Amino acid sequence: MTNQTQTSRTASGRYPAGAARAVRPAARRQPSGFVWVLPLLLLVGFVFNLPLLMTAASSLLDQKTGAVTVANFQEVAASKVYLPVVWRTIRIALVVSFACALIGYPLAYWMTGLSRRGQTVALAIIVTSFWVSILVRTYAWIVVLGNSGIVNRFLMSTGLTEKPVEFLYNELGVAIGMINVLLPFMLLPLFAAMLQVDPRLRQIAYTMGASSFQFFWRVFFPLTLPALGATFILISILSLGFYITPAILGGGKVPLIANMLDILINQFPRWNLAAAISLVLLVLTVGLFVAYQRLRRVE
Amino acid sequence: MNAHLAASRRRERLRRLPLATVGILVLLFLALPIIVVVPMSFSSAESLRFPPPGLSLRWYEAFFSDPLWLEAALNSLIIGVSSSTLALGLGTLAAYGIVRGTFRGRGALETNFISPMILPPVIIAVALYIFYARIGILGNYLALIAAHVVIAAPYVVLLMTLAIRSFDVRVEQVALTLGASRWQMMTRILMPNLLPNAAAAWLFAFVISFDEVVVTLFVSGTHLTIPKRMFNQLVLQINPTITAIATILIGFSLVAVALAAWLNRGSGFVPKAEGEGH
Repeated sequence: MTNQTQTSRTASGRYPAGAARAVRPAARRQPSGFVWVLPLLLLVGFVFNLPLLMTAASSLLDQKTGAVTVANFQEVAASKVYLPVVWRTIRIALVVSFACALIGYPLAYWMTGLSRRGQTVALAIIVTSFWVSILVRTYAWIVVLGNSGIVNRFLMSTGLTEKPVEFLYNELGVAIGMINVLLPFMLLPLFAAMLQVDPRLRQIAYTMGASSFQFFWRVFFPLTLPALGATFILISILSLGFYITPAILGGGKVPLIANMLDILINQFPRWNLAAAISLVLLVLTVGLFVAYQRLRRVE
Repeated sequence: MNAHLAASRRRERLRRLPLATVGILVLLFLALPIIVVVPMSFSSAESLRFPPPGLSLRWYEAFFSDPLWLEAALNSLIIGVSSSTLALGLGTLAAYGIVRGTFRGRGALETNFISPMILPPVIIAVALYIFYARIGILGNYLALIAAHVVIAAPYVVLLMTLAIRSFDVRVEQVALTLGASRWQMMTRILMPNLLPNAAAAWLFAFVISFDEVVVTLFVSGTHLTIPKRMFNQLVLQINPTITAIATILIGFSLVAVALAAWLNRGSGFVPKAEGEGH
């Protein structure tokens, strides 16, 4: 052993131990480390990349003959069934993102002015909501918004309405459920971005005679606008793929793209059409994600 | 001077009152599902009334005496433990390769590993359904676990790349210089140091797998999991047993995530709150 070490030391000169000599220069001279990523790459390649590629390929095939065709995409574009669902999904995604921005921004801004303890409490509520199963959060709205739910009993007891208001099984109910699920995705990054704003800016603005109103609209809001834009896009991305909330709170009457995919796969076996629609969804998502990354860089 | 300051502070507080009202209402909106579901799980009533007319544990009894719910719970545990353990192993190795490797395309590879977290689950569900059906493993238990590993692995890769990046590379170099093999260095130096992060990553992966619904609905065949059975029941009818399961799940995910955040503290994953210097 001693002998060997000495030989290697004389051979390499700089490296005291044989084992290290074998590892270090190799790491320097040629690319290394690929073997570490290989196991996960094999799994992801087989259970993620390959299936996605197959989906993309089958969207361009005719289900019966197997011939290459764009008929699946033409059917989506011309259909009176599928296209309205795509538009509804985009519309709800926009409404949900706007609503999240509208109620999320004031909350995040209010939180920046709280004491450390107040911030911890608010963050705890947000993070708790974030980690509670989406099924649980969706389910609760049936109890809250149903015909004999809390909101309707309150409205009827105050005499504001005679009949219960239909909150569920329409776009309004789906949107409320989605806003509740997605709001933490807006609050956490937005709050983090607001804390990045240098607090001395406020003092400088006040010293130079700005009112707090002016400070907010001319300094603070423009500085946090990229973060608001980025989280807006993030919420839109997540909204486009929503499946559970529209299925439960929409009661089958408000299908979004994901619910339509479920029907095309599990009820009528029209896999190639489903593949085409999920490719449309994929392109929308990836496009928005690229925009999101751009805005994050501006931040 | 002091009186003036106190007065201006009161004015400031009054000016912030509308903002505070909005903030508290929005927080209430966020917390409402939890505020409603937890008390209702202890309700004695057959219907979903809030507040509950009386207290009982009947819905917990209904859960624990239903063989289908217990089967679903067992499956969720088996799938959750096996997939998060596999995700931790494969994800940690991959994170090490991405951070310390010198081969080209590491950034692209990292994006590839993380993308199952970014894509809508329904896209993965459709792709896996078609793929599994074509090769005849739709509804296979191991295929379901493999899908869960792919979905949970991004969280491990994210957490572990952060942890390995913040671990001083010179410690590794010293170990290698002193004659340790790379494997010895990994198991005897790196892993013991990153154990809290690894435990946190495992917990996150477990919660992700345990909560997974959409992909499971598409590819699980006849196998039940807790979220799958919950979803099927919610679409069909409203059964108060679900409030009991929901409450168990809330408690369970909170404990797991609090533990994970505590284990992973200081590595920058949990947003740190910093007061605005007054």
